Amino acid sequence: MFNALTDRVVRELKKIVGEKNVICDPEKKIDYSHDEFSLSDIAHEPDVVVKSNSTQEVSRILSLANEEKIPVTPRGGATGLCGGCVPASGGIVLSLERMNRIVEVDRYNQMIVAEAGVMLMDFYPRVEEEGLFFPPHPGDETAMIGGVIATNAGGARAVKYGVVRNYIRGLEVVLPSGAVINLGGKLMKSSTGYNLLHLMIGSEGTLGIITKATIQLLPSPQMSRSLIIPYENLKDAIDTVPELLAKKIMPLAVEFIPKDVIQITEKFLRKRWPSTLGSTYLLIICDASTEEQMDKLSEQVAAICMERNALDVFVADNPSKQQQVLEIRSKIYEAIKAHTLEILDIAVPRAEIAQHVKRVQEVSQEYKIWLPTFGHAADGNVHTHIMKAVYEDGHIVPLPEEDWKNKLENVRRELYRDCKERGGVISGEHGIGIVKKPYLSYVLDEESISLMRGIKRTFDPNNILNPGKIFDL
Amino acid sequence: MNIFVFVKRVPDTESKIKINHETNSIIEEGLNFVLSPYDEYAVEEALQIREAKGGQVTVFSVGPDETRTILKKCLAMGADEAVLIKDDAGETFDALRTAKIISHALKTKYTEFDLLLFGKQSVGADSAQVPSMVAAMLDLPQVNVVTKLEIEGNSGTALREIEGAREKVTFMLPAVISAQKGLNEPRYETLKGIMAAKRKEIPVVTLEELGIQPDELAAGLELTKMESPPVKESGKIIEDEPSEAAKKLAEFLRQDAKVI
Repeated sequence: MFNALTDRVVRELKKIVGEKNVICDPEKKIDYSHDEFSLSDIAHEPDVVVKSNSTQEVSRILSLANEEKIPVTPRGGATGLCGGCVPASGGIVLSLERMNRIVEVDRYNQMIVAEAGVMLMDFYPRVEEEGLFFPPHPGDETAMIGGVIATNAGGARAVKYGVVRNYIRGLEVVLPSGAVINLGGKLMKSSTGYNLLHLMIGSEGTLGIITKATIQLLPSPQMSRSLIIPYENLKDAIDTVPELLAKKIMPLAVEFIPKDVIQITEKFLRKRWPSTLGSTYLLIICDASTEEQMDKLSEQVAAICMERNALDVFVADNPSKQQQVLEIRSKIYEAIKAHTLEILDIAVPRAEIAQHVKRVQEVSQEYKIWLPTFGHAADGNVHTHIMKAVYEDGHIVPLPEEDWKNKLENVRRELYRDCKERGGVISGEHGIGIVKKPYLSYVLDEESISLMRGIKRTFDPNNILNPGKIFDL
Repeated sequence: MNIFVFVKRVPDTESKIKINHETNSIIEEGLNFVLSPYDEYAVEEALQIREAKGGQVTVFSVGPDETRTILKKCLAMGADEAVLIKDDAGETFDALRTAKIISHALKTKYTEFDLLLFGKQSVGADSAQVPSMVAAMLDLPQVNVVTKLEIEGNSGTALREIEGAREKVTFMLPAVISAQKGLNEPRYETLKGIMAAKRKEIPVVTLEELGIQPDELAAGLELTKMESPPVKESGKIIEDEPSEAAKKLAEFLRQDAKVI
């Protein structure tokens, strides 16, 4: 159904973006064949990689590809975990990496306008320079703004401040026809027609290519403090979370982390976690505008934790100490990456999280597979890591391939079934991509998927834009 | 065992330092201040010695009222007492001045001690002179840049870093020790510790009370200019076929960089 890429089309592409921004060299193309998902069997090489530098160029590329019926897969930082930016049908990978400009910081509206290729590691410092605050914080700072919006990413701070969707006010989008549309604007309110802006957020590059975004910022909280709370057992740690919510205590983030992955990451980074007590930790980050508020909030949190048998409450409250704690938390993924098959991204109602994690532990024992599970305890988003190894006496012991290969699929199914029973979804913040596509019907009914197919056809009648993602047409 | 630890309030090492060129000082607005990291090793070591041998840990800092925050932190870590020696002079970079104030305090008001612990240097001024000056003024044995410390009875053994090796030094108490990274892993405060520290009084001693005459502290050092270090230039990229690029690199290393 797609046409092959011809030399003539490559020449056209070179005319649009310039010779050096069209990559045909197989050795260089291979970098554009995968994202962060570990199994190489989903990787697929593009026929050509094109690096655009402006919205106009994106428009001309899409209009050409639409006419020639060549698939186009948009690509940002490629930090995704489910194959969303893998060019599954070959064709063109359209990399937005050169479109990395901050267009405007609007102090009066407290908004920032950024191009899709701005990396988070460049975005946050710019926002902070203005004394402002962008609350969502997806784990990988090499992610780019466009991708973060296209997956509706979240991160640890969603408990108090919500996910990326809550902060996007306007988008410039190029449709598969090449038409450029502007959705929303520097607006706090809009009840004007169907909300295409929100349809675009989380659409994983299947409806249009996001080239520019207007993003709401908040005044920066005056101070933050991280509490590190060890528990003898996981159940007490997780049971603390609904207690906090029931008492209307609203920290910035609540993470639960087992000790084994902390120890592995301490070794990996040669840094030290604040405590060696217990078997599980809660990491609770509080923000406040005065020291009195901060003390009151942390004392309330501590009291509830101690009632639930916490062993102590350790504090990191200057930037370098907090940085050290957060670095260990955020590098767990890298420390165990070599042994990770897949990171699940199940989101359940917050009150269900303890039961779901209990089920994960049962499945881990049934299948004799290591399933380190940690995540955003207070927003219901659980990251179970399916490992091709077991963890014994402080060491990671790899499993033979034939062993984990059979188990992977079964473990996925078991956990997705449990997710469905608890009224959850299979992705809280990573998206569906290719990897979770077969399981979409576990949690969405056929009618809904059918409506989604209809929307896809309306936006992209030739199905050239990131084909084969989320669902099959 | 009566241990005194001397600590300084410094900008957080994560801070971006901006300079006011008119006053030749750093702009404090928006900066976070912390206990100087090397001093934190000194506090931790004092606490560990106390836990093993008993005794009392008192923490001192010379500085303005704002210095209380880091003294509170030391109390939260577990120090028994903290004393603020109030000096509103701000950052003078004058190590001799600080050493005079400390040794005055130790000669007149706080004369009972077995061990004086310092960080090997403060972060920011980084002069690494105060511990040795104090030791000289009080005529005490001293070991600097210590990575291991053992106290037994009225003597001690310390390992200190020297170029390419470690030196073992034995000494009699009382003595001055300055702490280097690696001496220990400073503990994190507990919330309970922080809240208890908040309620604790920190006595304030003025320079007058210590009997220091202003002319004794006349500046021994003049600050003429403060500048940020030059911005590091970005690296050079040699783009060519691998065999050609390697040749160009070798040529560059030989002729321009003169390293091979």
